[in-house]
Amino acid sequence: MFVRQISVFVENVRGTLRKITKLIGDAGIDILALSVADTANFGIVRMIVREADIEKGLKVLKDAGCPARTNRVVCVCVPNRPSGLDEVLAVIDESDVSIEYLYSFNYSADGQALIIFRLSDTEAGAKLLLDNGIVLFTQEEVNAL
Amino acid sequence: MKAQKTHNIYNPKMECMSREERRKLQGERLRATVQLEYDNVPLYRARMDAKGVKPEDIKSIDDLKLLPFTEKTDLRDEFPFGLFASPKKDIIRIQGSSGTTGKPIVAGYTQNDIDVWTEMVARAMTAAGGGPDDIVQIAYGYGLFTGGLGAHQGAQQIGAMVVPMSSGNTQRQIMMMHDLGATMLCCTPSYATYLGESIREMGIPISEFKLKSGCFGAEPWTEGMRQRLEELLDIDACDIYGLTEIGGPGVAFECLEKDGMHVNEDHVIAEIIDPVTEEQLPYGTPGELVFTTITKTGMPMIRYRTHDICTLSDKPCACGRTTIKMSRITGRTDDMLVIRGVNVFPSQIESVLVGMEGVAPHYMLVVDRINSTDKLEVQVELTEEMFTDKVGEIEGLRNQIADKIKSVVGISAKIQLVPPRTIPRSEGKAKRIIDNRKL
Repeated sequence: MFVRQISVFVENVRGTLRKITKLIGDAGIDILALSVADTANFGIVRMIVREADIEKGLKVLKDAGCPARTNRVVCVCVPNRPSGLDEVLAVIDESDVSIEYLYSFNYSADGQALIIFRLSDTEAGAKLLLDNGIVLFTQEEVNAL
Repeated sequence: MKAQKTHNIYNPKMECMSREERRKLQGERLRATVQLEYDNVPLYRARMDAKGVKPEDIKSIDDLKLLPFTEKTDLRDEFPFGLFASPKKDIIRIQGSSGTTGKPIVAGYTQNDIDVWTEMVARAMTAAGGGPDDIVQIAYGYGLFTGGLGAHQGAQQIGAMVVPMSSGNTQRQIMMMHDLGATMLCCTPSYATYLGESIREMGIPISEFKLKSGCFGAEPWTEGMRQRLEELLDIDACDIYGLTEIGGPGVAFECLEKDGMHVNEDHVIAEIIDPVTEEQLPYGTPGELVFTTITKTGMPMIRYRTHDICTLSDKPCACGRTTIKMSRITGRTDDMLVIRGVNVFPSQIESVLVGMEGVAPHYMLVVDRINSTDKLEVQVELTEEMFTDKVGEIEGLRNQIADKIKSVVGISAKIQLVPPRTIPRSEGKAKRIIDNRKL
């Protein structure tokens, strides 16, 4: 029901994103989803890779001096039509769970968009979505992309 | 319009007395100060006892070298009132500045001390061409910092019309300067330059202003900066030196000869020492400036080590004053930085970081001067444990560091979080400062 995400702290200076993509690419790791949060001062690069690549990815990043960690997020299958996302958000909106951020996959599955949700309470949020009939991609399904 | 080069002297008796007469006066006043200190300040008494020096051993100014030094750390350790030599009921003012770590240092003034300080600044303003006909705009900050109130008192003492603007709000400063026809300006040299540049940007011809001169200090500056400032504002720019511990601005000041700062020697004794051997050095040799106050009663200072490096000169000055002159400050014997007139020690930044979770006490201070304004950037290493995937949490940490630095140091700094182990480690004394200002 959960998917693990890698986050990396980077300075907001020219060339840092390329440094990350080069490290990950040279390690033979495929980035399935990517988001870059930027502030004037620093950035956080978040990415989804296949489960087998996570530890390797963390190692190359840390060895290169980039603070990196993993945490759990949920991967929501959102119907690919108007109001598809709105219906998912409506469920969350009526609960105590809030969304920290979200970003889309580079892939879609059977006409459904895949969107990563970082929720304030991952457990409760995932259960809430499942209880409301929303489909979540498992780590295994992500690995198979 | 520059000041007419006339040498008005506020107190000719004291400023122009013969060297011999002055040395005698200094000796008498030193003796009284040492007695006051010995009788009232336990720390200094203990230090004299440890050295085996008694007040009666101080017979003339030549005996100054027998006395122990006072350090800035003493002000911190004895904070707030431990170095006061007068009862609290006689203290009528507190001024302060940053200490070397978290706590500020404070100085207490009796009415006598305020009068002494006021006169020292009045002499400086007179030497810069000031008098009762002048309109003096004070753009130093008012508050614990001695710049604003010090200049204010001095300008009032010479009978000038005082415009107490305090620092900042550049547009309003320029408007008032223009509309009131201010003839003198007192602020840091970098802020004066910034005002000049702003006037130029606004497209107001400098001929519409009536400025003729000013007393500029609280930070080190150069002859090149003076030329730029004088050209921008079409004035004579005189240097003024001081420090809270010794009384504030006015300890030494330039006359319109602009060739070194006259030390108010009837109130302070200046020495130059070798910072390592602590031996007195002759005039003309660069070394650490040491001051002894000889008229203050609230918090007298004996052989206070400024850690400023300069030279003293007893060459006669064309203005007629017989006091010795000190050169510009050419450096520091410690790692103190002066940023926008505020003293900043790397140890203060360190004390903030050591007390915080989530950051390593590895840091670098980067100082730049952009548009004549000093900017401080503090690069801090984020620890791996503290890194999260949420922007808000890291921003929160940055703001927390910025707020603490602001409250401890007194100035705003830009906090730049950097990955762990990216700030260079050094084997010996860590390099903590990159000063990109071209001084």
